[in-house]
Amino acid sequence: MLTVTDVRISYGQAEVVHGVSFAVEEGECVALIGPNGAGKSTILKAICGLLRPSAGDIVFDGRSVAGLPGHEVARRGIAMCPEGRQMFPEMTVMENLKLGAYRRRSESITPEIDEMMELFPRLRERSTQMAGTLSGGEQEMVAIARALMAKPKLCIFDEPSLGIAPKVVDEIEETLIKIKGLGVTILLVEQAVSMALRVADRAYVLEAGEVVTAGTSQEMSNDPRVQSAYLGA
Amino acid sequence: MNRFWKLAMAGALAITAPAAHAADKVLTIGVSDALSGGGAVYGEPQRRAINLAIEQINGNGGIAVGDDTYTLETIEYDDKADPTEATNVARKLIDRDGVKYLMGYCCSASTGAVASIIGREDVIMLVGTAGARAITAAGNDNVFRTRPPGDYTGAAAGRFIYDQGVRRLGVVATRDVALFTQYRDALVEAFKEAGGEVVAVETFGGQDRDMTAQLTKVRGLDPDGYFISGYVEQVAFAYRQAHELGITAPRFGFSGGSAEQFLAVASKEAMEGVWDLIAIEFNAEALGDNAKAYAKAYEERWGDYPTPNSAFAHDQVWVLKHALENAGTTELGAVKEALRNLTVPSEVVLEYLPVDGQMFDPKGQAYISNGAFQFHDGDWEFKTKLPSDAAGYSAYFQTIRK
Amino acid sequence: MLVDLIQQLFNGLVIGSIYTLVALGLTIIFGILGIAHFAHGSVAMFGGYLTFFFIQSLGIGLFPSMALAMVAGALLGVILERVAYHPVRNAPPINAFIIALGLTLIIEKSNLILFGVDQVIIPTGFDRVFEIGGVTFPELRVYILVIAAVLVIALTILIQKTWMGMAVRAVAQNRPAAILMGINVDAVSMFVFGLSSALGVAAGVLVGALFAVAPGVSSGLVVKGFAVLILGGLGSIPGAIIGGLLLGVSETFATAFISSAYKDVIAFLLMIGVLLFKPEGLMRRSATR
Repeated sequence: MLTVTDVRISYGQAEVVHGVSFAVEEGECVALIGPNGAGKSTILKAICGLLRPSAGDIVFDGRSVAGLPGHEVARRGIAMCPEGRQMFPEMTVMENLKLGAYRRRSESITPEIDEMMELFPRLRERSTQMAGTLSGGEQEMVAIARALMAKPKLCIFDEPSLGIAPKVVDEIEETLIKIKGLGVTILLVEQAVSMALRVADRAYVLEAGEVVTAGTSQEMSNDPRVQSAYLGA
Repeated sequence: MNRFWKLAMAGALAITAPAAHAADKVLTIGVSDALSGGGAVYGEPQRRAINLAIEQINGNGGIAVGDDTYTLETIEYDDKADPTEATNVARKLIDRDGVKYLMGYCCSASTGAVASIIGREDVIMLVGTAGARAITAAGNDNVFRTRPPGDYTGAAAGRFIYDQGVRRLGVVATRDVALFTQYRDALVEAFKEAGGEVVAVETFGGQDRDMTAQLTKVRGLDPDGYFISGYVEQVAFAYRQAHELGITAPRFGFSGGSAEQFLAVASKEAMEGVWDLIAIEFNAEALGDNAKAYAKAYEERWGDYPTPNSAFAHDQVWVLKHALENAGTTELGAVKEALRNLTVPSEVVLEYLPVDGQMFDPKGQAYISNGAFQFHDGDWEFKTKLPSDAAGYSAYFQTIRK
Repeated sequence: MLVDLIQQLFNGLVIGSIYTLVALGLTIIFGILGIAHFAHGSVAMFGGYLTFFFIQSLGIGLFPSMALAMVAGALLGVILERVAYHPVRNAPPINAFIIALGLTLIIEKSNLILFGVDQVIIPTGFDRVFEIGGVTFPELRVYILVIAAVLVIALTILIQKTWMGMAVRAVAQNRPAAILMGINVDAVSMFVFGLSSALGVAAGVLVGALFAVAPGVSSGLVVKGFAVLILGGLGSIPGAIIGGLLLGVSETFATAFISSAYKDVIAFLLMIGVLLFKPEGLMRRSATR
């Protein structure tokens, strides 16, 4: 579904991603893990068309999306639940959800709205409230629901647990597993490695702009290097 | 052609022309006026009026000064109504061309700049249309002006409004043009002196076209007459809006715009009955035979009907002719004295009101009659002259400097 | 006294509704692009002249002329966005600022060259005056209020209820997130410039009918427009509506109850007051931007 081949990305003169390759197959949940500054978010931005890679290719659904403008990538069926939630703060929860379905604006979106309200019952109560006034956890739910509203072929989650109360992180984990159960293809970027490995089928470990190791979640959990570096074992 | 050849040719003509006077001389007048740019609508007609008068005088045998006969010629420069340019022109005329008599001067800012330095120069400056009061109020003994200051007309207008039966006057007027504010202040003072009450003085700024708030406020005070003044464009909007507000009390104004200018903004109905109280500049309807003859001659010479202000400059040429004849010399001190003692020449177009029998008062200011024009059926009609008090105003004028 | 009060309120609302139309365009553009679009007033005047030209030369009616001019204004707006502002969208803000000033001069001078220096009054034929209990309502002023209200309501519906309107708000509130939703920000920018310029032209036509289209009018409109923005909150649509009406009524009431000499000062006093006590503007933290 998504194949990233030898992608290099620079900010000005400084190259921060030095030839990264990985793949996400249809129906899979793949985690991209690694410390702060490893280049995870930069790679996501390149996939979503917010940055142009200096070399390499990004192929989605059989066609290259490298260098396409962001809205075009979104139209091809990649949805993103961005880091920091990125609400439209002065719009209602309902409007935020509707905007998630912007690429399908000619279709009826009522069934998806109902589906999301079922997935996140709390959003039903909050639907007329301004998104900017919600708590961090609630905003994360809006962000996830908004991404799903697009009925994406691939849904990317960028640090969904960052800055969220620990109790709520568990809720998010459950939600991700539920979404996975719906058959959505997922690329998950997380610093909370143990949570990521519980959710994902496979994982890539990224350090200083390079993939250092990869394998199934099981293999990664058992990898001593991963254990010492990320799982605190 | 250099001066030698000019002299040589003049000499040759003097010798060969049998009918010429033994000592024909030429007096050069420096003309400084706005001949291009926004001020040219006033300046160019003045230039034409000066040339017309000079051609008439020269054609009738010139000016007898003592034993000599002078003909007049001009050196003309465009001062663009700009103060710096006008000062440069004055310097050029005085220093390089050696001119002793300056004429033209249509616009206040440029003329004011020249007037402020002219007191130190050995010249006589004859100002036409420029209206700023300070030009003559400053009291230079070598400046003479035909156009009276705005507040002179304002005082007459104040008395006229009272005479029309108005007792409670509401004023809506521009706040930042000296000509209009001086006129307005004099009008208010004269109206109060006559026994009237001014219920409100509301103002508007240079870019305003909406005076409804001011008019509504004044309307609420229920005056029995309105006075509205400013540039035509703005005053026309005020009349239109007064009409929309259902104001029917008599409306007096000071703006001097043509019927066409007013009707571009306000309807005939809105303008019906409105008064304009202004100095009677050239107006063949209000003035006598001289004015009609002037209009005819001007049209024949220049192909255009004269503008109202052009007569201010035209008359100055005749003023100079008589002053020179009376002085019997071109020596400046004597000519100044003659100007000061001049009675109103018969050839002038405008109707001058002498002070103590003399055309110019001690500050070199002349006064003309003021008139009341009323809008009727789409055009201005001359109704009557205003009760002008040239002597009274002049007495006050001697006490101010700006 | 009550008659005068109502009369002044009406006077103020009419002027205020024009301020609102001008400010709406400025505020949407500012909200989306962060640009102080000084040339907005000159675009408004361009539309006013164009309307006059259509009526005089093509002999078509006021409203078709106005509609045509609004379309032309929208096109001009789109061209300005593409040619002038789009190339500097990622440059430091000073670049857009300088371009805005330059555009103002260019359009202002173009108006002079195309349409001359004389003031132009758009003929409407609406010169009846209605009177209710001593308060007079000139027909033209009533229509201006109605037209402004219709445009404001139409704009509100467009912004609140349509997909395009939602996209506009989304870009204003969170540009990167809007891109992730599949919103084409360039298309939204062009749309916003077109829409704002059409509104500006409408304001220009109303000014031209009530007063005049003339050199020098545009700068006054822009100054008032930005005063409204500061009053109502930069980028806020409700702020522009409330702020415009508030400014119009305040100016009128300043004349009525203080002195006409302070009419223009009141706008600035209001602005200073708002900046002191509510620096984000009256409507900044509210329903929509």
